[in-house]
Amino acid sequence: MRISLSDVRKSFGSVEVVKGLNLDVEDGEFLVLLGASGSGKTTALRMIAGLETVSDGRIAIGGRDVTDVLPKYRDVAMVFQSYALYPHKTVFDNIAYPLAVRKRPKAEIEAAVKDVARQVQLDALLDRYPRQLSGGQRQRVALARAIIRRPAAFLMDEPLSNLDAKLRGHMRAELKHMQHKLGITTIYVTHDQIEAMTLAHRVAVLERGVLQQLDTPANIYNRPANLFVAGFIGSPPMNFLDGELVDGRFSAVAGSFGTTSRATRTQAVAGIRPEDCRVAAPSDGQIAGDVYATELIGDHTLVTCRCGGEMVTVKADKEFDRSVGEAIGVALAPRAIHLFDRQSGDRIV
Amino acid sequence: MRVERPSLLRRLIEPPNLETLAPIPKVATYAALIAWSLVVLMPLYWVVITSFKLPVEVDTGPYYLPFIDFRPSLDAWHYIFVDLGNDTLRPYANSVVVALASTTLAVLIGSLAAYALVRIRFKVKFASIVAFIALVIGVIVAVVELQVPWQLAVVIAIALFILSLGTIARRFRAGLGNNDIEFWIISNRIMPPVVAVLPIYIMFQQLHLLDTHIALISTYTAVNLPIVVWLTRDFFAGVPIDLEESAEMDGASKFRVFFTIALPLVRSGLVATFMLVLILAWNEYLLALFLSNANAQTMPLLVSAQNGTRGPQWWYMSVLIVIMVAPVVVVAMFLQKHIARGLLVGAVKG
Repeated sequence: MRISLSDVRKSFGSVEVVKGLNLDVEDGEFLVLLGASGSGKTTALRMIAGLETVSDGRIAIGGRDVTDVLPKYRDVAMVFQSYALYPHKTVFDNIAYPLAVRKRPKAEIEAAVKDVARQVQLDALLDRYPRQLSGGQRQRVALARAIIRRPAAFLMDEPLSNLDAKLRGHMRAELKHMQHKLGITTIYVTHDQIEAMTLAHRVAVLERGVLQQLDTPANIYNRPANLFVAGFIGSPPMNFLDGELVDGRFSAVAGSFGTTSRATRTQAVAGIRPEDCRVAAPSDGQIAGDVYATELIGDHTLVTCRCGGEMVTVKADKEFDRSVGEAIGVALAPRAIHLFDRQSGDRIV
Repeated sequence: MRVERPSLLRRLIEPPNLETLAPIPKVATYAALIAWSLVVLMPLYWVVITSFKLPVEVDTGPYYLPFIDFRPSLDAWHYIFVDLGNDTLRPYANSVVVALASTTLAVLIGSLAAYALVRIRFKVKFASIVAFIALVIGVIVAVVELQVPWQLAVVIAIALFILSLGTIARRFRAGLGNNDIEFWIISNRIMPPVVAVLPIYIMFQQLHLLDTHIALISTYTAVNLPIVVWLTRDFFAGVPIDLEESAEMDGASKFRVFFTIALPLVRSGLVATFMLVLILAWNEYLLALFLSNANAQTMPLLVSAQNGTRGPQWWYMSVLIVIMVAPVVVVAMFLQKHIARGLLVGAVKG
């Protein structure tokens, strides 16, 4: 079902943690709220769940205004970071709880639990207690408990962050498959950009309670709306150069180069991702500097260059073999250069 | 994940495994434990053998070993159970009824209060407290001095109180938080009960409820509530809030969350609290002395009554003490596991 937030605000005392959030989540969409800690992403999710009151603004689920509705009447299921499994109940009773609360007939509950347990491969563990399960199995129980009552939406608060790296990759794929199969609107909170990029239909990037950009993962990566998003998404992060933009030509201390823009700004920032840079001879590249550090990652080498007092990271071949201090040029692909206004931080088109 | 607290409490309650100790500390530990056991068990032993002695043996003694020092006799037991008969059984039944009922009520109400104090943030305005006290005084003055019918006075007072909540109380900022409420609750127990005994006596006298179960049960419940609240609030605070929020999202009401999630998770703690309060109620003397007479008399009164005009009759007293202590020992043995675990809730995770 559609979920929409209009100008939602939340204050704790005098601190406003969510500042006028507008969000429209389509039916069946997988939306990821991405942000660092303190960005307001979890608070936003808890407001949609009804676990936190809204200071101002409206929240609607499936066209129904639920701003002042108790969590249990919102028909959304939530998966917590801690899984929040009931330690004194068996796996079966944990999964059955949402139906038991609704006083469904016993036979129906049993059939539903068995069906859902099969979907998440828990059929053999229904008699166990949560403390007897591994992290991945607990995660599945939490998921099964959310799925069983076919809610209007799933809300997930960093559900994978307690798993080890290998299991996390596996569960990520499972989660995506499950959401696709069930087609239930999902809002997923994470600080992990890989999770955001791989899972989401659309990503909402939050910072200090303000929505920075809401777009598809590809657009977030390829056309970041402002300096924050440009710096936040991508690993290693985007390189930034301070300089002046005159009729589309960018001049920095380290050198000057043409861009695809025609704009003019006295204070501008040029951003370029490490993979869009190339090492070149000192006289060849658009900007020049010297090698500051090299890191062999495996299939490539990260070369950090000092160019006119600023650091530029270049993703180079694994065969890169120049030593620290050597003069170097950096070639930039004009199409891959992102331009931002220094003052507002907004992208220059 | 909760950070484990320093293990001092744990070390005190869970001593090192005796099996793994080196021989000399092991022997020393056992010797100390045996010596302490003798100190603890001696009075119990003495009470038990005294109950089988005749008055002459008590007076000329001390005799330590039955069958060797003296010949055990069932005289005292016969007197208590056959000659006194109902005069023993009635106080015994009274004690059982009063202790069980008041403890059940105190644990039920107290745990609900403790849960609310842990999970809900209260802001009680000073102004509404002042208004409440003023109206209580007003009702008393109106009824006693002005001869207003008490029903009328109470209705008017309640109406005025509700009115003042919305109007006067809202204008004043200063208020009390959860900590203040908790302290107020425990302060009721800090005050020695003897201070309140006379007012309580007069109150039940006016209500014509002296020497009834209701008087004892309601008084014991009120007196033990602070202990229950104070103990159980820590247990509830140890329940992760995620679990309760999750249950709420799953569709459970607040009461259902309390009864199906929070309560089962603190079961051990509640059992320990129940036992403690039950023993307090079982042994209570002072309030029972004032509030009960013949009909509602409890066991502690009967025991002390054996020290009457004929001097202390240790043999009868001992029989009564034995039958008073026995059920507590039996119950404690059955619930021992829960009690130890209950005390550890919070100190050791899940």
